[in-house]
Amino acid sequence: MTVLVLELKSITKNFPQRELLRGVDLALNSGNSYVLTGDNGCGKTTLMRIIAGLEPADGGAMRFEGMEVDLDRYPEALRQRMTYVHQQPYLFHTSIAHNIAYGLKTRGVRRQQREKLIADAIAWAGVAHLRDVAPHKLSGGERQRVALARAKVLNSHLLLFDEPTANLDSEARRHAIDLIDELRGGDVTVLIACHDREIIDMPGMKRLRLASGRVAAV
Amino acid sequence: MELLEPTREAFRLLFSGDPSLWRIIFTSLNCSLIALLLIAPLSVALGFIIAKVEFPGRRALVVLVQALLSFPTVVVGLVIYMLLSRQGPLGFLKLLFTPEAMIIGYMVIALPVLVVFTLSAVQGADPRVYETGRSLGANRWRAALTTLFEVRFGVMAAIFNGFGRVVSEVGCSIMVGGNIAGLTRNIPTAIALETSKGEFAQGIALGFVLIVLALGVNIALSILQGEGGME
Repeated sequence: MTVLVLELKSITKNFPQRELLRGVDLALNSGNSYVLTGDNGCGKTTLMRIIAGLEPADGGAMRFEGMEVDLDRYPEALRQRMTYVHQQPYLFHTSIAHNIAYGLKTRGVRRQQREKLIADAIAWAGVAHLRDVAPHKLSGGERQRVALARAKVLNSHLLLFDEPTANLDSEARRHAIDLIDELRGGDVTVLIACHDREIIDMPGMKRLRLASGRVAAV
Repeated sequence: MELLEPTREAFRLLFSGDPSLWRIIFTSLNCSLIALLLIAPLSVALGFIIAKVEFPGRRALVVLVQALLSFPTVVVGLVIYMLLSRQGPLGFLKLLFTPEAMIIGYMVIALPVLVVFTLSAVQGADPRVYETGRSLGANRWRAALTTLFEVRFGVMAAIFNGFGRVVSEVGCSIMVGGNIAGLTRNIPTAIALETSKGEFAQGIALGFVLIVLALGVNIALSILQGEGGME
């Protein structure tokens, strides 16, 4: 049975002298993976940020797992059910383990369980050898892997990735794509904004295109 | 002017543990640190809010706080004096010429320093810090604390600068503290008094303490920044 995770209706967003989103309708089903393409500056990032509650929409409606979302007062509980990863992820200037622990702490996961989840996530992302390296000294690819581990560990129902392979060298890109591929499936819904051909052509990836302020299936 | 003898005497006073000298140093440190402890949370929160929250009059508030930064401390002392004097609205508290009055003055003097430095640190922070916290499930409060932690060296610089401003302040201390020996006499007021009497030894000793404090604070800050991987 298909379960609707996210539904957007007529989402609009205007900037001075520019109508960016002109009534976006979008429906994402549970367990599916979607790739959102579109020209640079067409509003992909803005749309993802509206979904994640990081930016307000000017109009429209959103439902998440059947619940009506007040876009003017984005519910805090929703932040615990989806995770947005920036194009260039920010890692807190503490440690890799602390970065991965952060979201678990916001969810009240107990220390003992947290430690195990962190160790598993670090091993999964292949960053165990970097455990003692300060996050701000990591390369772009290493940061992306830590950010993916930080997102994975939260078991979010919806993962939003903004250009996850942009600005990465070929080896780092390969690693990031493999990790993203592993994140797909099960009950997790994934929405990826990108231009990367390999991600677009992943098996089972549903393609969406944002053009002229609206989203259409390709 | 003979400088060698007063300087020698100054060091003798310092290292012999002269009780009146060390009482002055204690009063300075005690009042300054208590004032900072009391005002820092409010100032840091204010700095964060002004930096991150859009509200009507925000620009005017920034201008006002920046103006307060260059406000003469003697005028701050005068206002507090009028408030705390027997005829003033807060005269019933009987705080004038007490260390508590000096602490209140120091809080007023330190507030704009802490607010402006925190504001600048938060504005200079990567905007993704707060958003990353939010997207990982943190509420506004937690994401704000995370942001402040990320700019902790800027916040520490704010606190250290606030300390530097109040510990060397003369005008307000004399106005509301009264420079009473053993009670409200602190390092800068004692230096002013002793020098006016031609007693340079204690002035030099206390001036030396102020310089050591200023150097110590700056060295501590640069060590902390170095540990944080800051350039």
